[in-house]
This record gives sequence, structure tokens and C-alpha cells, in this order.
Amino acid sequence: MADYKRAKWAQWADYVRSLDDPAKNFEKPEALDDLVVIDISSRSMAGCYCSSLLAELGAETIRIEPPGGDLVRTYSPHGITEKGTGFAYLQEGRNKFHITLDLEKEEGREIFKQLIGSADVLIETYPAGQMDAWGIGYDVLCQLNPRLLYASISLHGQFGPDSDRKQYDYDNVSQARSGIQYGTGEVLPEGKTFDDMPWAVPTKAGPWIAWAVSGTFAALGILAALHHRELTGEGQAIDVSTPEAYQRLQDYALHWYTDQGVIQERFSNLDTALWLYGFFPTKDGGVFLGGLRLEMWKAFVDILGKWDEWKADEWTTLAPFMKKDWQLKYQAMINPLTSQYTSQELTQKSIDYAKSGRLAPITPVVAEIVSPWKTMHDENWNDRGLFTPVQDVVYGSVVCAQAQWKATETPPRTKWVCRPAGYDNDFIYLRYFGYGPVKLAELKEKTVI
Amino acid sequence: MPAVFKDYVKNKFGRPGPLKGLRVLEVCTLLFGPSGPSFLGEMGADVIKIELPPAGDVTRSLNPFGWLYREQGPMFMHINPNKYYMALDLHIDIAQEIFKELCAKSDIVEFNLRPAVTNRWNIGYEDIRKVNPSIIYIEKNGFGQWGRYAEEDRPSNDGAAQALSGYAWMSSFPKQPPLKQSIWICDYYGGLMGEVAVLAALHHRRKTGKGQYIEMSQSENIMRTMGWIWPYQQLTGKGAEPSGNRDQCLCPADTFLCSDNRFVALAAPGPDEFKGLCRAMGKPELAEDPRFRDHGTRLKDENAVAILKIIADWARAKTADEIEELGVRQGFSASRLHNAKDMYENPHRRERDFVKHVDDPLYGRYAEHCFPVMMSKTPPKIKWTVRPVGFDNDYIMTKILGRSRSQINELYTHGVLGKWKDMQGRRPPKEWDGKTGAILRG
Repeated sequence: MADYKRAKWAQWADYVRSLDDPAKNFEKPEALDDLVVIDISSRSMAGCYCSSLLAELGAETIRIEPPGGDLVRTYSPHGITEKGTGFAYLQEGRNKFHITLDLEKEEGREIFKQLIGSADVLIETYPAGQMDAWGIGYDVLCQLNPRLLYASISLHGQFGPDSDRKQYDYDNVSQARSGIQYGTGEVLPEGKTFDDMPWAVPTKAGPWIAWAVSGTFAALGILAALHHRELTGEGQAIDVSTPEAYQRLQDYALHWYTDQGVIQERFSNLDTALWLYGFFPTKDGGVFLGGLRLEMWKAFVDILGKWDEWKADEWTTLAPFMKKDWQLKYQAMINPLTSQYTSQELTQKSIDYAKSGRLAPITPVVAEIVSPWKTMHDENWNDRGLFTPVQDVVYGSVVCAQAQWKATETPPRTKWVCRPAGYDNDFIYLRYFGYGPVKLAELKEKTVI
Repeated sequence: MPAVFKDYVKNKFGRPGPLKGLRVLEVCTLLFGPSGPSFLGEMGADVIKIELPPAGDVTRSLNPFGWLYREQGPMFMHINPNKYYMALDLHIDIAQEIFKELCAKSDIVEFNLRPAVTNRWNIGYEDIRKVNPSIIYIEKNGFGQWGRYAEEDRPSNDGAAQALSGYAWMSSFPKQPPLKQSIWICDYYGGLMGEVAVLAALHHRRKTGKGQYIEMSQSENIMRTMGWIWPYQQLTGKGAEPSGNRDQCLCPADTFLCSDNRFVALAAPGPDEFKGLCRAMGKPELAEDPRFRDHGTRLKDENAVAILKIIADWARAKTADEIEELGVRQGFSASRLHNAKDMYENPHRRERDFVKHVDDPLYGRYAEHCFPVMMSKTPPKIKWTVRPVGFDNDYIMTKILGRSRSQINELYTHGVLGKWKDMQGRRPPKEWDGKTGAILRG
């Protein structure tokens, strides 16, 4: 890593790093290595993401797919696969054992029920009602294993008027139903139509954020339920509906509508509720600018050299700047100024201002809007272990986002990225059922596995 | 429906949340910091929010286009339910000692300060570990506690994380400038993942008695959600590029404009779902077309463009609700884009008690989201909203630390404890009678 000027508090940084550097993760214990997690999720990456989080923390995670593999293995840009598996699953197969089992068959379900006796957690993403129809719903499984934590992640949840819609949960549909996509995107200028500007429409987030959010909420619910179980011995059913999970991260829109009748609409790259807070153009791209306190906004105006002209001295409150007309007025004034600099120049100006500016150490947030290519090659993130490739026995060296947090005792870690469907049949069926080659061949013959 | 969810809503308050008995301290402002402890509070933990008197959390000032609710910042209300409000000036050594006393009696402590600030305030991990070796201690900020960006002392927030992670880059239409999300996704998602770290640490503590220190950067955390992008870039040697509303890993999965000028999102990647969609379009033969015969084939660019064009032309002649209804009938996933009105009026959300009215002693009755995880034996719940700065000081000092009236008064005199500034969002709402909602009433 290139040299940089060390902070005055470098000793603290070095101290923390000595305790939580991900490079040392494998020397540490694992928080969940006493748990067995079964993931039978289907078509939805929310379930896989949820079980990944638990697997990264050490849970023995068994992913059950139908013979031939789950549809998620085909999810990939342009349909490209690596040794038969799409790029998406090459991230979320991590640390899991992969077995096949046909739940459509009675014999498959009987084996599944046996496995539940050894399980702490079950994750499923079928449309509500499917598990019950197969005779392996919570009401049955909790009789077999009262300590079981049974987590369902679905489009419509396990109860409520829409829950009998037999639909799978897809990220783009959940983003649409959450109410968040509606309020995100370019504003269509007056007099233009969607045909003129097909990009000025409600726009979803590119990454599978609805799936990630519902998967993470489910993981959080599972861990909280685990706490309760350890105290009482009691298992339970957990129900997460993906649009609700994602909607929970929307903030004031619901309250605004009920109190004022206002429906939150798109506001392009500004923010309905914050100033200074938006994306602005630069000579070579764009930057995010942020300053939620008056002094930070003033510091930015100072950096632009407009302190006197805009009379920043006289401003006593940020309140009027949050209004729509002021935001648009100042955006029009700022755009030509930021366009004179490169993103890097503006970022550096903010860092320098914190040291020697009129309002130092106060300074605005300036962040270049970068491509994920640039992110992946940024030395800072690599130094912090984000993109350390995983050396996988099947797939070779694969970059996975990891080390999403650092910890002194039980950090998350990635040991392998994925396995082909059924790769671990021999080991897992032997470990849990004592099934050797003869029995496995028989099950394979009957296409149960 | 599993029998355990029958009457779930009716009996919700018949059982405590799963984290009953845990005590959480937060020294957090804005959104990234406070969101996580709220999730714990909704699951039954006792959360004490510690603010610096008299102005407290800056979020109290924030508002959409000038709209405040009974003088309070609406996002402050949304992000901080179910907490106790204490104002303690942590710059003062006596306050730091009181804070340590509270830590000794707590399970979890959360901060979102710039790196090394907790250490400067004598409440860094080492200081707290001395009084409580099993404490779970988490610091959340832009860039963590070490590394170049942290040491440059760069300020950060949600928008910066959207920009630096590549998230915004991937969220626009092709050849259009990167697009910012309308929600503070990196704040909220960081808060959420932070609690996964905390609760995993809690399980480890139960087994070993050991606490731990956790640091989280919001940029790093959002990168974890970006899945296929990283191996795609590594293994193809190409940068990932955005694709608007089209999901580039599933086909068909996109958003379409309908005859009523509304939008519908649909997805039908499975063989049964794709057949259902073709039937709904009155073109069952498309399911047999060699260009579309299986998911992998459909994902090839020319085939994906062809099928999405066919769907777009069909959707343009139907209303969004008609397509949603066809999805239910023909077995593919589809939803009209919901907005704030739907969030409030949609009967499904209401019957699940996901959207409900909070009945608050200070702020009255208002609409809010509940916790989105339904738990059959330990239902999470929302109970009350925010309080003025320092509103619950006396209760906490009496109930948890056993201080007398005169001791508490002395702390006020020296500015160790403080109460609200006479300012919007800090003081009680105008309608307040001086008593309602106060736990100790003299």
C-alpha cells in the first residue's frame, strides 16, 4: 500500500488493527460453530444470503437443492457460468455444504424430516403454503424438534390477505412493492414523456438490496430467537416478507402521507429531506457532497470561494435550504462551480480544508462516485480485507466481498465460495444418516438425491 | 398458514420480545448509529440513548421540505422508537465516570463517532473492558478505525458510501449518470448488519463469557450486498455496468410502463413462471421458442432484449393492476409499484400489523412501520416514539444508578446531566402538559 501521512492518533489505529485485522481471522473462534443450519431456499437469493451470513459466522450450513441444482445457479449477467454456476451463486454458496434432495418425493421428505432432528435453524423461501402442502410446514416440524428456529422469507409473508398468492419472491418485484422504487429516480421534466426519456422513471437499486435486506432481517431474527431459545429452550417460527423488510428502511414517507397527504415523489440526485446532500457533476464524473450541519455547508461554500458573494456569514440556520425551491436554486448555482474541478481535486480540497480552512476541522463530505471496478481496485478497501480472494478447491481463486465488519473475537470469514450441486452428498449423508455408497446409489437411482 | 400465526396480531403483547432483559447504550447521532439499537429495542431490549446536552442529536432538525411533526423531525421519530433518553455531557470527566457505571450494568454499547474519539473521551474499548469484560462494544462510521481513509479523518455519510462502493454507479440506466437512492440505504443497512454482528457476539459471550470489540464501515458493509459484481469483474476482466430497471441476472425481470401511466415490475425466470407469463400474454408458443426455451438461453443479450420488448409492448396495453392480477392467476411474480399511499392503505400491511398507529403520550397517534420480522413466540413491537433531550435522565439515574434527588440536582448544576434547549425538536411539543409520558413525576 502506498505511503500516507499517519494520523496523530496512529497509535490507536495500530492498536485496533492489531486486534481485529481480518488477516488474522482464521486464528479466532467462530460465534456460531455450535449450530446446524439447513437452507432449502428456492429461487430467492434472500434465503441464500441469510444462510451465508450464518455460515460466515461458523454455523455448519447445509444447502439442500433439488437434483440438478436450484434455479439461482443460473442467475448471472449474460447467462455466463463458471464451471456450471452463475456469478451470483459464486458469492452466496460460501461456506456451505451442498446436497441434493427431491422434496417433491415422499421419500425425499422423509429424509428431510430426519435431518430436522439435528437442525437448529431452517431457512425456506417457498410461496406460503408450499411447505404445509408437502407436510413439512412448521406445525409438523416443531413436533419433531421443538427447539427448531424456522425462518420463512417470502414475497407476501405467512399470513394476511395476500399470503395465499402462490408467488416466488424476486428482488425487483419486492423493490417495486416496498414503495421505495416509486420515489427513486430522475425527474421527468415538464413537457417530456417517458418515451422521450425512458430513464426518467421510478428506478430500482441495481444490487439485490431487497433480497439482502430481508435476508439480513431474517438472520437478525434468527439470532434474537436463538438468544430466547438458549434461555428458555423454546424454538419458534419466523416470518419475513421481503417488501416489508425493505420498506422498513424507508423513513418518513408513510408518516408524511398520513399527516399531510403528501406522496413522496422522485427528486433525482438531491434529497427531499437533507441539505447539503446530493450528487453533483465534476470535470471527470461526479461527486457526492454532504454537510448536514450549517457549518459544513458554509465550509463547502468557502471551498468554492463563494463565502462573501453568497453572504455565508449571515446564515444562521440550515432550515430554509431544505425547502424544494432553495435546493433547486442552489443546485443550479453549484453545478457550474463543481464542474470546474476533477472529483479528486474536490476530495482533496475537503481533506485540506479540515486542516487549514476558516472553519477547520469542520469540512464537508466529498466523495467521488466511482465504478465498482474502481472500488474493487482501491487500495484502502483491499488493505482492509474486503476483496481478499478466496482460494477455492473447485473454483480456484475467486474474489468475494467479505470482512464486512471487523471484530476482535468472532469476525465473519469466508472459507470456500461455492460447491457444485450435490458435491457434499457423500459426506453429509454419511455424517447425518450413516448412508454409504450402496444406499446413496439406491437413492440416486430413484432420483431422490 | 402455520397455526402459530393465527391471532398473531391479537396476541402480540401476550409475550415479550426475544431480547427481553438486555440493556443497550447508544452514543449515536444521525441514522447509521441509532438505527441498529432501535432494532434491538423493537425486539425487547432496553435501549438508553445518550445525547450531548442541550442540543442532542442533529437529526432532530432534519425534515422533508420543511415539514415537521409537532415540531419534531419526522426521521428522528422514525429512527429512534422504544428508547430511553438521557443527556450526559461526555466531555466532562464525571460524566465519563457515570457512563462507565452504566456500561458496567449493560450488555451492549454502540457508537458512531469519528475514529479514536471514544479513546479521547476515556470511554474507549480498553476503558470500558476494565469495568465490564463481557461488554459487546461496536463502533460504526465511514471508514473504520484504521487504514488510509480512516487516518485521513475523512468525514462520511450514507451518500458517500453509495458513491464510494459503486452502489450508485450500478443503480442508474446505461449511459446515464449514477443515481442516488431516495432512502439512506447505507445508513440503515449498516445499522441492520451491525446488529447481526452484535447478536452473534452475544451468542459467543453466552458460551465463553467473553465480550468483544466490533468496528464497521458503512461503505464496506454495503459492498457485501453487491454479490455477483465482484467475481464478474475479476473473472471476466470487465467492469460491471448498470442496467436500469432490468435485472441483468434474471430474465425476464424488469419494470414496465402500463396503459394507465403506472408501472408494474414482474419476474418470471422459472420455467413454470415463464410459461404462465406467455399464457397471460396470449402467446403460449413463446415458451417453446428456441430463443427463450430456458433461463440461461433467455439471458443472452439478444434474446433478453427480444423478450423484454415483447413484454413491454404487451404491458403498455394493460393496466398495472391487471398485470398484477394476471401474475396471481398465471403463477408469475408481479406488482404494481406501490407508493406512500399504498404503504398506508394496503390492507395486507395493516392486517399483518406491519403498518399501525402508535399511541404516544407526547406525540399522540401517528402512523408507523413495525419491525418486519414476525416471531411466533416472541413478537417484536413498537411502543413509543422519541422524547425531548434528557427527558428520562432522572429515571435512569434513580432506577439504574440509585442516585438521590440531591445528587442528581448537583449533576445538573455542574452541567454533567442536561436537559433540552428551548429549540425546535429538542423541547417537548407545545401541547405537552408537563407530566404526561414522564416516568418520574415530582
